[in-house]
Amino acid sequence: MNANDAPAPAPPQGPAPVVRLVDGLRSLDRAYSRGHHGRWSARRRAELVDEALVRLFRSSDVPDGVALAAVGGYGRAELAPASDIDLLLLHELRDGRVVRELAERLLYPLWDAGFEVGHGVRTVRESMALAAERFDVATALLDARLLDGDAGVFASLRERVWDWVRSPRTGFVDRLEEAASERRRRFGSASRRLEPDVKEGGGGLRDIHTLGWLAPAVAGDGGIRGLESAGFVRTAERESVEAAEEYLVRVRSALHLEAGRKLDVLRQDLQPQLAVELGFADEPGLSAPDGLMRAVFEHARDVEFVLGQAFDRVARGSQASGAAVPGVTGTPAAVIAAFAQAASRGGSVAPVDLDMMEDADLPDVVEWTPAVRDAFLEILRAGDAGVAALEALDRADLLERFLPAWSAVRCRPQRDPYHRFPVDVHLLEALGGVGRLLRGASTDDPVASHAAAAVGDRVDGLLLGALLHDIGKTGHGGHVEAGEEIAARALEAIGPPDDTRDLALFLVGNHLLLSDTATRRDLQDDDLILSVAATVETEERLAALYLLTVADASATGPNAWTPWRATLVRELVAKVQHALERGEMGQEAAARLAERAETIRGLLRGRPLGEIERFLGRMPRGYLLAVPAERAARHFPMVNAPLGAVEVRALHEPGPRPGTYALAVVARDRPGLLSRIAGSLALSGLSILSAQVFTTEDGVAVDLFEVEGAFHGDVDEERWRRFRATLRKAVEGRLSLEYRVAEKRAYYPAPPSGITTTVTLDNRGSDFFTIIEVAAPDRIGLLFDVTRTLTDLQLDVHIAKVATYGERVIDAFYVRDVVGRKIEDAEHEREVVAALTARLAD
Amino acid sequence: MKLVTAIIKPFKLDEVKEALRSVGVKGMTTTDVQGFGRQRGHTEVYRGAEYQVDFVPKVKVEVLAHEDQVQQVVDVILKTARTGKIGDGKIFVLPAEQVYRIRTGEAGPDAI
Repeated sequence: MNANDAPAPAPPQGPAPVVRLVDGLRSLDRAYSRGHHGRWSARRRAELVDEALVRLFRSSDVPDGVALAAVGGYGRAELAPASDIDLLLLHELRDGRVVRELAERLLYPLWDAGFEVGHGVRTVRESMALAAERFDVATALLDARLLDGDAGVFASLRERVWDWVRSPRTGFVDRLEEAASERRRRFGSASRRLEPDVKEGGGGLRDIHTLGWLAPAVAGDGGIRGLESAGFVRTAERESVEAAEEYLVRVRSALHLEAGRKLDVLRQDLQPQLAVELGFADEPGLSAPDGLMRAVFEHARDVEFVLGQAFDRVARGSQASGAAVPGVTGTPAAVIAAFAQAASRGGSVAPVDLDMMEDADLPDVVEWTPAVRDAFLEILRAGDAGVAALEALDRADLLERFLPAWSAVRCRPQRDPYHRFPVDVHLLEALGGVGRLLRGASTDDPVASHAAAAVGDRVDGLLLGALLHDIGKTGHGGHVEAGEEIAARALEAIGPPDDTRDLALFLVGNHLLLSDTATRRDLQDDDLILSVAATVETEERLAALYLLTVADASATGPNAWTPWRATLVRELVAKVQHALERGEMGQEAAARLAERAETIRGLLRGRPLGEIERFLGRMPRGYLLAVPAERAARHFPMVNAPLGAVEVRALHEPGPRPGTYALAVVARDRPGLLSRIAGSLALSGLSILSAQVFTTEDGVAVDLFEVEGAFHGDVDEERWRRFRATLRKAVEGRLSLEYRVAEKRAYYPAPPSGITTTVTLDNRGSDFFTIIEVAAPDRIGLLFDVTRTLTDLQLDVHIAKVATYGERVIDAFYVRDVVGRKIEDAEHEREVVAALTARLAD
Repeated sequence: MKLVTAIIKPFKLDEVKEALRSVGVKGMTTTDVQGFGRQRGHTEVYRGAEYQVDFVPKVKVEVLAHEDQVQQVVDVILKTARTGKIGDGKIFVLPAEQVYRIRTGEAGPDAI
């Protein structure tokens, strides 16, 4: 029906009925704004076509035994602006040629005027044969309507069609249901796609027609009202379907008028214009196009639900107003318990029960009692059946009474490159995804099954977190912060145990942490890993967060959880897990870290706030954890003031044990810095008991030592002054440490000992560093010897731990190479061992 | 005209994008890619589960540049994508024979 598509309508031509039709259609299109062509308009359009066709038919020379019938949508008298006009010329003549010629004579003027008219010329027998072969022909015939001609022929067709539909051998209901699911597979569901097909999509107009076709098979005439009288559809359901039909016809008609052709997919680019035409306006938190789409989703959801219920009731042979099921009464606890019971059986709530519940007079906001909570958690634990139960609760308008926050996300479209579903559908998909991961359904994810085991008995917190993770998507502000607030209120009402609530809240607040960090930050940065570990705190929370991350991504669309993203997220998870396992970071450490930072802020009170925060941000987490707050506060001025290229700052103070000193050295990081400090200490008669090396992100080295006097306990100021002078010269290169240390060593030959030197490498102890362990007899400048060999090998020392056991020293060095790699190839490993062994032997 | 293709670390994408914009690059194409170079793959361990990662995730950035601008584009990427550590990636510069803007049908430098 495309006569009015032309951009500048030409004056109609042809026979008078066609001219009148074109005029009539044009003025009908103009009579209402584009968004107000609903079912009335569709019927009026069909009437105009009827008139023209009947006139044309009557003006032709029609033999007896020929009927002109409208079929399909035109048969139902529903014509959208660009719908096809489908006709059947039914006859009982031996020779169909006469009728075919008649058809052409009849239709040429319409074709000439640009209408899309399809027609068939068939006998009753031929029609039935074709219907048996093609299901769409069968349903089109169910909608057949006599326009003019031989009423007897038409009546016999109708009788045959109805008999065929009602014959058990036809399996009509099953085929109808099959066709509906096939359409859903092909076109998706109009209740969840951001670009829904309002005709063919699930919950679309075709589903409404399907209800109409179901009626003759199981009830009788009268379409959906017939189903209602027969008890297969409830009154409220029939009303919701009618409202959906009116709305969807309006949307589809507006689409046709806007696109100027038969277009049934509500494309994103047309949504703003259509929203205006259908009378939507921007509201706080909901734009006009989102309002348009939310209404499409809501109506389509109603239609899907009613169609499913109707098929279900027909299959059970049970009627909507069935007998009450024992045990189901109208209290919130009983209602939700019935859903929980059904879900944990893996089934769905029987429509009968659902009807009962819908009749039950529940309060608008249900109060959470322990019984309600237990049943709700049981639903969450039931996996996909639980998701189905929540969907059923939603369709029965019950879910919002338990979770008032749900209404803000219900049917809310999401407009970003990743999300394909409305928010509430996404939340339920994610919940289902977590359930499947917990059941070990993912065989190709080596991390998920171990994570599922690690979640242990914290499942409820994870499930609640999954259900609520995007609850903050209400169109106001950042969804994570909003979500934490809304989730906190919801969880307060639900009232789970504290640890369950805390895990759920943590997940809502951090559900983007792994994904964002993995894709946007440098995973080679050990401090970053510690910082994530400090947020996550425990292995259980990490495992739960990983499972939610996978389920969340998978629930946004088919392509969001790519191997690319998975590889990055898993790398992060493995590293954070190791940091937690090794105790480098964890709940306790995170608390200590926060406390340290707070104490340091207190100690530095009076300094510019920005400088304090910069200091806390610059210093590695490992530093803040290892160094007492008071000491860190004393380092602040050394680190805060800008450093010259060869400037060295040193600060000593009494150490943790009597006779020991804590020494801090701050300088621009450079290769060999540690060995120069170690050499200077050796020259100054100071023994190193332990050493820790930290580097800020902007390349400032903060090296901490615990030292003691090599020969006598007390180290006077004069010696410290000499040390600082030596160190300065060493850093500036005005002193050959190698020569000087050798010279000094010559005065103190090491006593022969039975201790042998061993060097071992360990790559499993850290994700970022190779740990080199050196055991050797003690001697002057030992640390200097080791570190300058490491410098020679271009190995960067991150941590050095020195422990002296009498004459034996065991040092451990965390190192990586100049491009940040661990020492992992065997040749490199052998070279390191050989070089260190040789150096310590001379 | 040249097609500059850079394989970079994923977390460097924003920085590279901003830096290219600031020197007047009007358009680019990015793709999530996986591959290996000298960095090769590695083994990950999570709670005792060991699994091999054969391909390292990277981002591919493609920029079409006029002859005069190629060096600048390359320099900007070299500078911003560099961490100095293994796996910083690669840049390829290829001749682009012709460019068309589909909407207008413009060709050559006008279409960049």
